[in-house]
Amino acid sequence: MRRRAQPWLGTLVEVTLAQGLADADADAAIATAFERVALVHRLMSFHETGSDVSRFNRAQAGEVLAVHPLTWQVLKLASEIAEASERAFNVACAPNLVAWRLLPAPAVGGPTFVPGVAVYSCEEDGQVRKLAPAWIDLGGIAKGFAVDCAVEALQAAGALAGCVNAGGDLRAFGPLAFPVLVRAPHDPRRFSESLQLRDRAMATSAGYFSRGSVAGRTVSALVDGRDGAAIVDTVSATVSATRCAVADALTKVVLATRDPGHPALAAFGADVMLRCHSPQSHNDA
Amino acid sequence: MNVLRYLPVLAAASAAPAFAVQYLSVEQAQKLMFPDATAFREQNLALSSSQMREVEKLSGLPARSVAWRVFGAYRGDTAIGFVVLDDVIGKFELISYAVGLNTDASIRQVEILAYRESHGGEIRNPAWRRQFVGKRAPAGLSIGEGIANISGATLSCTHLTDGVRRIAAIGQLLVKK
Repeated sequence: MRRRAQPWLGTLVEVTLAQGLADADADAAIATAFERVALVHRLMSFHETGSDVSRFNRAQAGEVLAVHPLTWQVLKLASEIAEASERAFNVACAPNLVAWRLLPAPAVGGPTFVPGVAVYSCEEDGQVRKLAPAWIDLGGIAKGFAVDCAVEALQAAGALAGCVNAGGDLRAFGPLAFPVLVRAPHDPRRFSESLQLRDRAMATSAGYFSRGSVAGRTVSALVDGRDGAAIVDTVSATVSATRCAVADALTKVVLATRDPGHPALAAFGADVMLRCHSPQSHNDA
Repeated sequence: MNVLRYLPVLAAASAAPAFAVQYLSVEQAQKLMFPDATAFREQNLALSSSQMREVEKLSGLPARSVAWRVFGAYRGDTAIGFVVLDDVIGKFELISYAVGLNTDASIRQVEILAYRESHGGEIRNPAWRRQFVGKRAPAGLSIGEGIANISGATLSCTHLTDGVRRIAAIGQLLVKK
């Protein structure tokens, strides 16, 4: 068994190869998996000025941009999940995250978040049309997508079982069950639950590492995409799906709507594995 | 009752990291980063005060430490790069990592060597203890040597990113030598 970790996407990405390859082949497969993660990082980082996301953010409304096929896939999936969730999941909340100093401003005097509108459309051949002045952040969904890409790279190299974990976005493949500890939302140094993950993806989202206060208001990197308000409940949601990008995006839907039976879950073959409340979450809500 | 008898046990228990993963040894990281190297020579660096100021200027960060653990990678007698070792404190964890630098001081690769929670609290946590129970998977294989993956909100890697930036600045000094 081989386990490696590198820093990408603003977190630690961990690759575990448990079965199917040995020695040099295993090292090569893991190297390829990390290359895929690095590619997603370069294409979809909000922070890197040369990324597709940064190019989109700098573009004028009405402009059509050619993006990498992987970026196009993520934008397409993001718009499908936004539609299925009535925009509870919404990548266009970035102006609020910038205002709350959770993301750096891509430019001076940027756009404001407008609820209920699509800010881009995916056209044919990797083209994306910017429909309105907007900043998008693919943070979470791209992390899940990077996990999917890494798993596919390992499988393509002949790995039979393994697991990839990017800061809590995980996907296991093969016949082995991988133990997973889920952080407790009220005290993330502790774990509220231990689960087994086999041949499936899961993601946990909670505001505990990003919650802060700006101008007397409690803010968080988790935003309800329907109105742009910060989700500050002491709660975490864990969703499982076949694809990690889907699992990550749907955690936001569950947290925003507080509906563990939201129809978007069934639409994407996902389910809620866990919702954790802290003892004081009623006071917070 | 002899209280002293229990002290070493208690000390050991509180020092035991609640969560620890060893990914790579220093030697393994060296070989992964420079597979062509025939030798790695320890070339530890002691920064002078003017070098510390230079690191601060280049990285925009406090130089933090005078002494740095550095290995030169060689193919025959030719220097092909450097491996710099460092530790950073994350949110609740200590991260040991290695940065591979090319001879022009550009970053070649970053590998995490070890990761451990810096607080001991979880040892009392039932979920933490449970992971050691029945750690053998149905196939009879022990996954992760009994250590679970962690799912939860993103761990911030700010300190690690800063650390890599600082080492990139130190690399500028290494190639000047």
